[in-house]
Amino acid sequence: MSNVKYNETAEGIRLLCVNTGKFKTNYISIDLFVPIGEDLPAQYVLCSLLAHTSRDYPTFKSFNSKVEGLYGASFDSGVSSYGDNVRLTYCLELPDDRFALYGDKPSEEAIDFLINILLNPFCENGKFDGETAKREVRFTLEDLEAKKNDKRAYALSRLKQLMCEGEKYGVDSEWLENGVCEVTPERLFEAYKNLLSTAQIVVTACGTLSQDMLSEKMTAFAKNIENRKPVKLTSEFVTKPNEVRYFNESMKMMNQAKLVIGIRSGMKNDTDDYYPYRIMTDVFGGGPYSRLFANVREKLGLCYYCGARLIRQKGIIFVQSGIEKDNYGKALEEILNQLTVMKKGEFTDEELESSKKALADAYCGVEDSPMGVCTYYASQCFSDEIISGEEEAQAFLAVTREDVIKCAQRAVVDSVYLLSGEENDE
Amino acid sequence: MNNIKEIKNEILNEKYYEIDHSSGLKIFVYPKENYSSCYAIFGTKYGSTDNCFKAGENGEYITVPEGIAHFLEHKLFESEERGAFERYSETGASANAYTSFDKTCYLFSCTGNFSESLEILLDFVTSPYFTPETVKKEQGIIGQEIKMTNDEPSWALLFTLLKAMYKTHPVSIDIAGTVQSISEITAELLYECYNAFYNLNNMALAVAGNVSIDEVLAVADKILKPSEKKQIERKFENEPKEVVSKYAEKRLSVSRPLFALGYKEDVKGVRRTLKQTLESEIMLDIIAGRTSYLYEKMIESGLINTTFYSEYFEGLGYGAHIFSGESENPEEVRRRIDEEILRLQTEGVDRCEFERIKKKHYGKFIMGFDDVDAVANFLINDYFNGDSSFDGLSILESITFEDINRRLSESIDVNNSSMSVVKAE
Repeated sequence: MSNVKYNETAEGIRLLCVNTGKFKTNYISIDLFVPIGEDLPAQYVLCSLLAHTSRDYPTFKSFNSKVEGLYGASFDSGVSSYGDNVRLTYCLELPDDRFALYGDKPSEEAIDFLINILLNPFCENGKFDGETAKREVRFTLEDLEAKKNDKRAYALSRLKQLMCEGEKYGVDSEWLENGVCEVTPERLFEAYKNLLSTAQIVVTACGTLSQDMLSEKMTAFAKNIENRKPVKLTSEFVTKPNEVRYFNESMKMMNQAKLVIGIRSGMKNDTDDYYPYRIMTDVFGGGPYSRLFANVREKLGLCYYCGARLIRQKGIIFVQSGIEKDNYGKALEEILNQLTVMKKGEFTDEELESSKKALADAYCGVEDSPMGVCTYYASQCFSDEIISGEEEAQAFLAVTREDVIKCAQRAVVDSVYLLSGEENDE
Repeated sequence: MNNIKEIKNEILNEKYYEIDHSSGLKIFVYPKENYSSCYAIFGTKYGSTDNCFKAGENGEYITVPEGIAHFLEHKLFESEERGAFERYSETGASANAYTSFDKTCYLFSCTGNFSESLEILLDFVTSPYFTPETVKKEQGIIGQEIKMTNDEPSWALLFTLLKAMYKTHPVSIDIAGTVQSISEITAELLYECYNAFYNLNNMALAVAGNVSIDEVLAVADKILKPSEKKQIERKFENEPKEVVSKYAEKRLSVSRPLFALGYKEDVKGVRRTLKQTLESEIMLDIIAGRTSYLYEKMIESGLINTTFYSEYFEGLGYGAHIFSGESENPEEVRRRIDEEILRLQTEGVDRCEFERIKKKHYGKFIMGFDDVDAVANFLINDYFNGDSSFDGLSILESITFEDINRRLSESIDVNNSSMSVVKAE
């Protein structure tokens, strides 16, 4: 599949369609990317609203019945970050037409449905329906507030906010929640118009869908949007923090403390030594063969999980661990010790080879599901050249010990965050 | 001599092989054309609810500490020589394991070196090595895992509900146990459990993806030794039909109350059939699925949000229809669900709703067979439940409107429910 590529069907609208009969399902996703900005609170509400109603299906029941009627299609939506940009995603997966029971063609119906929820929302006279908007503000707020329920994810989001204060990536949660509360039907409509006008739109599909049919529909889609002026996306890469900052917060009724460390990798952009950095992060804290797993967990017994992850679009490495609060000092010391091990090149050849093999093996299998195919290629939607899973695997295998050491030496700890139970909790 | 059976499905246009291996192990191989990856899962019918058992004809019943099945899962990865993760690191496979209420499974996925990885899987699971030192070390790690799950509201919600519904059945015991219970685990007890349940006649292997029967059997023939069939008897105390309490609460730091409402089914100590399980899933969608009037009314009135969902929860000796979500007023949610169930039990379900939801489940069934991990997991789960993976489609087709009305009357009693709520102070 290395011959696949994104075609620009209109300015700022890219389409990639992997045509294959090997799956039983068809999968299509539409991603809209814009820089993080003042519209963000409204965009959160908008994402939810467009996933629950449309002009043709203005009620919850009618909308969900439509999706259900497509042979139990899985429909999903969400807001996520892409560096200093926000991504709104809508995706649909359903059985291929060959499984339809009545000679119907649900796949084209599904594509039209997806396009129409973006093009023809439930609104009139320059604003969304008031009751609908109010309901979606409630959902969005409750969803944002519920993020505190998952302590591990919450600790990570707090570190991001504190470490990246001043960067678009470090969204202030209080500002976001307050902004959501203040969203009005008119404001929502304004954000909707801005989104369609300025977003980089990426459509990725896999299955028996026809590229020509999709291309035609997306061209028509683009023509129906007023004032298309897609905006360029950028991300700031901070390479050298001023000093290491430490943050301590507490929460009631927490049994286990969550330790999160933010490390500036030293990457200047998302392609700068990407493969060596991935391998470096993996040897450091990837799988059960990694330095963090073997030492912080297995040797010292300080935690159940301790791992590292590279955020490519920001060049940040996050380390996360769940620990006893009393072991904070020991755990932090050992994690930083292992980073020093990486910088000095004191990891073994076996550890390096294990990491390379594991990543290469994983990338060779990315195209074994329609969602896997789409997720994999969508991650390259702004690249000049699309690389296949096998080609990525080869790139990982080519990384050397010296490459990894150089990357480790460029990495600098930026912030350390601890979330723990309050003192009077048992 | 291995006995091989081919099982086909014309609608899916796929087939898999069911093999009675000479060692006593049941093996499933599901080749997927044009796939690059493989997924293998090796499981035993032994989980957290198996805490009182005897194995062999002359054995006595023993009761073991809570969480031992999960503890054993952790320990099997270790070896006197090289641990399993270290061995997998040479093949590039991605490995994991899990323990549930009624089974423990060890798995890996890979694109290359499949035979080598399968050899590691079959070898380490059939080669236990437990010592007092390694047991002590694991108590620290699992202690942290328990504390981590104790902070998870959805986990607390489920087990608070199970304790409110089940008086004696061990399904209400936390799968990982407690910090106290795992401190009672010894190497001897681990061997006792291992020898009882990790008998190949009590286990199964399922492999799906870019694989052939010959490859799988070559490794199985090399590694697996014949296992003498052993009678395993599990002992459960009589579980009363009634719930223990109608309401239970747990305090945790959450943004708004979470609730789980469970209607305890009178299962008479046996498992449901696949048909009953599918009927329950259709029934739940009709009562309060995303296209139901009840869901729409509760959402529009602000009583619930989009986290609301329902599930049929069942196993050996237990079964419950559970509705969960977030709400500032869980009691009102309960009242409305009770009311809707009673209405449907009186008036019957809507035929159009039934047909649409049945078509939905047909589509979901089809979609389930694309991912190699999903397929391999279906094969193991269905086998342990006494079902065959392709049967679901024909059973689904056979379910009638009358079946759903009957299931609704027989399986839910609105006077026999419990609700758990997790909320902050």
